[in-house]
Amino acid sequence: MKERPEPPTIVVRHGGAPGPVLREVCAGAEEEGVPTRVEPSGTPADAAVLAHAAALASPLEVGVGIDADGTVAVHHASLPPGAPALALASGGDPPGWRRAGAVAARIVTGLPIA
Amino acid sequence: MELVVGVDVGNSTTEACLARVGDGAVTLLATALTRTTGVKGTPKNADGAVTAVRAALERAGVTPDALHRVLLNEATPVISGLAMETITETIITESTMIGHNPATPGGTGIGVGVTVAIGDVGDIADGPEGPVVVVVPPGWDFDDVAATLNAAVDTGVDLTAAILAGDDAVLVTNRLTRKVPVVDEVAAVEKVPLGMLSAVEVAPPGRTIRTLSNSYGLATVFGLDPQQTRQVAPVARALTGNRSAVVVRTPTGDVTDRRIPVGELTLRGEARTVRVDVDAGAEAIMDALARAQPLVDATGEPGTHVGGMLAQVRDTMTDITGQPASEIAIRDVLAVDTMVPAEVRGGLAGEVALENAVALAAMVRTDRSRMQAVADRVADELGTSAAVGGIEGAMAALGALTTPGVERPVAVLDLGGGSTDAALLDRDGACVAMHVAGAGELVTKLIDAELALDNRETAEHVKRHPLAKVESFYHLRHEDGTVQFVQEPLPPQVFARVVTLGADGPAPVPTRLNLDAIRRVRRKAKRRVFVVNALRALRQVAPRGDLRALDFVVLLGGSALDFEVPDMLADALAPFGVVCGTGNVHGTEGPRNAVASGLVMAYSEAAP
Repeated sequence: MKERPEPPTIVVRHGGAPGPVLREVCAGAEEEGVPTRVEPSGTPADAAVLAHAAALASPLEVGVGIDADGTVAVHHASLPPGAPALALASGGDPPGWRRAGAVAARIVTGLPIA
Repeated sequence: MELVVGVDVGNSTTEACLARVGDGAVTLLATALTRTTGVKGTPKNADGAVTAVRAALERAGVTPDALHRVLLNEATPVISGLAMETITETIITESTMIGHNPATPGGTGIGVGVTVAIGDVGDIADGPEGPVVVVVPPGWDFDDVAATLNAAVDTGVDLTAAILAGDDAVLVTNRLTRKVPVVDEVAAVEKVPLGMLSAVEVAPPGRTIRTLSNSYGLATVFGLDPQQTRQVAPVARALTGNRSAVVVRTPTGDVTDRRIPVGELTLRGEARTVRVDVDAGAEAIMDALARAQPLVDATGEPGTHVGGMLAQVRDTMTDITGQPASEIAIRDVLAVDTMVPAEVRGGLAGEVALENAVALAAMVRTDRSRMQAVADRVADELGTSAAVGGIEGAMAALGALTTPGVERPVAVLDLGGGSTDAALLDRDGACVAMHVAGAGELVTKLIDAELALDNRETAEHVKRHPLAKVESFYHLRHEDGTVQFVQEPLPPQVFARVVTLGADGPAPVPTRLNLDAIRRVRRKAKRRVFVVNALRALRQVAPRGDLRALDFVVLLGGSALDFEVPDMLADALAPFGVVCGTGNVHGTEGPRNAVASGLVMAYSEAAP
């Protein structure tokens, strides 16, 4: 029997992201009804770089990158790597992280993100 | 041969037309356009006029001392004002209803039970039996909410629904062992009365609620008698079209749909006086106006909305003209019915209801034009002679005649900001001019109010530019369905938004309405002002009031440059066999410069 294909997801890549950040980002996407897949990144990198790589790996072409400081970036595979759709500096708060997840989901569903 | 320049000071732009005149011939040398300085008809206009003249001279390579004469327009003797009032109001008393549309409610179906705060839900097992609706204040984490509710269900609490302050309905529902409808983003959740019977309904995606928007559904849920059912009918109506809703039954709570008394408008005509209740709507007002024509003055019943509206208009006029309010006579009004979204009083989640409103544009005549003062200052500055000449309408018609394909008799329609002006120039050179209240400003106001933008600038953008929907970072769909791909990614703030396409690139329209709805509002506003007024004004100048007697109608003024108004007018006039189109003065200037050019032509015709 053929293996059932995995449902498409937003890919969340992080280089040792703080737990609360990761939790809220995923919650933001879940509230909008879009599933996420969390992938720890082997090499530490800038959030925007992680996000773009994640977007390229996502069947939905949307990725979120979180670096160890809690900096968050949301990216679409078609955007220039240096210009994420959303960038949050480190030291953010839970509503901000939640919003980042919601923005990622809304890029997928085609809803306004600002 | 004489070198003359015609100058038209308009409400927003000042235009100049430089020409050589002699032996009955006019040779156009140059035109210029600049912003009007100061309020039209006041001495401050001189600065703009001089700038325009200098620009035209420079363009033609002529020095100011070669200039023989500056010709200024006699400003249209009308000023207009606007007022708008809502005439209905929805009030919720005792926080009995939540009818907002959160983007992401949780679960589906209807749950009926007694409201209980989540902090008290653990004690229920020992308390009263029966179904409960849990109310969650802000600050609760979705995991904790779900855990608390699951634990309560395990101890036998009959959980039927939940009302949340935060935006977590889906997150909570996904973690519940018993799936119940959940409504979230209820900002004023602390005002939800506790210990009361309530019903929460969430429809599946793409559907609207069925039970709480139905009077008999409410009667069934709450066990109401016919008298009570009659009382809750406004609740049902207010919830129609929502995807989710909460209704709490309190002993005295109510939703009322109040009609605000608007008052009576008195239209004093030359032959008779007609009174009309503004409540009756725009159509009735315009019918009454037609019976009262020609209008001498309009007054509103003191102490009512309409009284306030007309007082507001009069005050504006007083500010502009310096005439005392008692001397200001309203010579025309245009009433437009409109629907305005307004926040519901007593609502818990920023609920909005569509209320009826009436917009009134009014126009007064003024004899206080100070164009002569402008002319004196212009003459001084340029070291030449300056004169005020010609009625604006007649000059516009003369200028419009330079449009290719036009001959006398010609009617011009100047679509301005405050008033719509029509003039007819017949074969013998006789001219009649009429002015009616309402033009571009009223359109902007209607768009602003109906889309609840609360921003004149944005409304102006919506009026002037076509719409598009940004569908991805790299393409947008125009309102006619055409898709455009762009090379550079569109900024995130316009992603998936409806935008206006102005000169500065796409600008988002801040509303939840979709493109079609915005477009409908825009076109309806234009039709109700410009089409209505074009027909009204042209009927007043047409021979015997018969539009069929007109041959050529030339559209002038800023709104003649609008991307859809000229087409709407051409469509409206087509059944009367009228040739209607946007003017092209001198074959090059488009609908601009007609009055300035007309001044030069009139001078040439009058010259010996």
